[in-house]
Amino acid sequence: MLRVDNLTVCYGQMQALRGVSMEVSTGEMVALIGGNGAGKTTLINTISGLVPPAAGSLSWEGRPLNGLTPDRICREGIVQVPEGRKLFPAMTVEENLIMGAYLPTVRKQSQESLRKVYDIFPRLADRRRQLAGSLSGGEQQMAALGRALMARPRLLMLDEPSLGLSPKAAAEIFATIRGLNKEGLSVLLVSQEVLETLAITAHGYVLENGVVALKGPSLELREDPKVKTSYLGL
Amino acid sequence: MDAVLIIQSLISGIMMGMVYALLGVGFSLTWGVMHVIHISHAAFGLLGAYLAYSMLQYFGVDPVVSAAASAPLLFLVACGVYQLLIRPITRAKEVIVASMILTFGLAIILENVMVLIWNADPRVLTPTYASGALIVGPFYFQYPHLVGFGLSIVGITTIYLFLKKTYTGMAVRAAWQQPEAAQLYGVNLYRISMITFALAVSTAGAGGISLALLNSFEPHSHNLWLIYLFLVVIVGGVGNVIGTVLAGLIIGVITGLSMAFLPYQWVNLVTFGLLMIFLIFRPHGLFRQGV
Repeated sequence: MLRVDNLTVCYGQMQALRGVSMEVSTGEMVALIGGNGAGKTTLINTISGLVPPAAGSLSWEGRPLNGLTPDRICREGIVQVPEGRKLFPAMTVEENLIMGAYLPTVRKQSQESLRKVYDIFPRLADRRRQLAGSLSGGEQQMAALGRALMARPRLLMLDEPSLGLSPKAAAEIFATIRGLNKEGLSVLLVSQEVLETLAITAHGYVLENGVVALKGPSLELREDPKVKTSYLGL
Repeated sequence: MDAVLIIQSLISGIMMGMVYALLGVGFSLTWGVMHVIHISHAAFGLLGAYLAYSMLQYFGVDPVVSAAASAPLLFLVACGVYQLLIRPITRAKEVIVASMILTFGLAIILENVMVLIWNADPRVLTPTYASGALIVGPFYFQYPHLVGFGLSIVGITTIYLFLKKTYTGMAVRAAWQQPEAAQLYGVNLYRISMITFALAVSTAGAGGISLALLNSFEPHSHNLWLIYLFLVVIVGGVGNVIGTVLAGLIIGVITGLSMAFLPYQWVNLVTFGLLMIFLIFRPHGLFRQGV
């Protein structure tokens, strides 16, 4: 479904990604793990069209994605929940959600999508008139995830969805993501919670210094000695 | 000091303030959303006033009609200005400084064009009802002032509803608060910047016409108007519509009262003094929250 081939991305002189290849198949949940500065956020921002690739190709259902602007990528159903949530702080929760359905292609269904999001996160319904900036961390992550669902994703990319959350809130978010994947949504999950992430994903990629250091079924990655020492602290 | 004079100048201050707010709201949006300080904003407002003047003089068209008609015209002109001049500099490192210098030049060009077309004499808008007034007890309201006031209320309400209720307006707010996320959900930042800029300029036209109904104007009046714009935006907070309205009213009332009770040459001193005090003590304005 999504294929990344030999992707290289540069910020000025610095190469953030060097020849990265990966793929996400339909209905699959894929983990992307690695330390700070490994290039995880760069990779999904490149897929989203925020960062231009220096070399390599991106394709979606056989069609090239290179050179498309972020709004076009979103229209294709590739939707990102950005790191740090990046809600619109001075807009209400409901306005944030409505903005998720900004594109004309999904706007018509926005009322129906809104009901679905409120079904998944009843707490957002209670807070619908509150400003997003005033929510707790867990609620903000729900709102950010809800906003992405409003865009009717076919591939959902989540960048560190549990960052800064209490263990309880993080567990809730992971359970929701898992539920969405069970309903058939393809997911690319970037996270530093390596153990949880490998527990709920089918495949995984380990990025180190902008290259894919390891890849394989998540179960095998969990048993890999290198992953154990570097990421699980075992 | 008698009560009638105080109340009368309070009311004229409020009317004046609402007009400043209409002129200021677009200035504030371009500044907040695009990081462009649009120095020629007031000059475009003045251009609107001159267009209304000519329409009235030669075709007898009421300024309110001109305000409505000039809005789409200025919108298109501003789209062109955006594509030609503003968009190239949004890639500059210091967008704010670059935009100020560029639009300062544009303001000078516009001013000289207005001198060429309308010459440098002061003008007043004199619609048929210009000499009429509404008299309520001891108070006296000239019709053109009431029309200018009404026009600015309509203008500001329109902008407010646009920002709150339409998808495009929400995208403007989203792009201001969190541009990257706005892009991720399909907002085209260039398109939104162009719309913000053009909308601001077209409301400047209506604002200029409203102000021309209250005061006389000449080709360099935009310089003084610009000081009021800065004052309104700095007091109200950049990008904050309600703050802009409140700031306009506060400043209008203060200038209204100083005009009534201070010698004329002191009035601008009060205005500039206020601007400096705010820049020193409350650089983010009275109200922190934005659009």
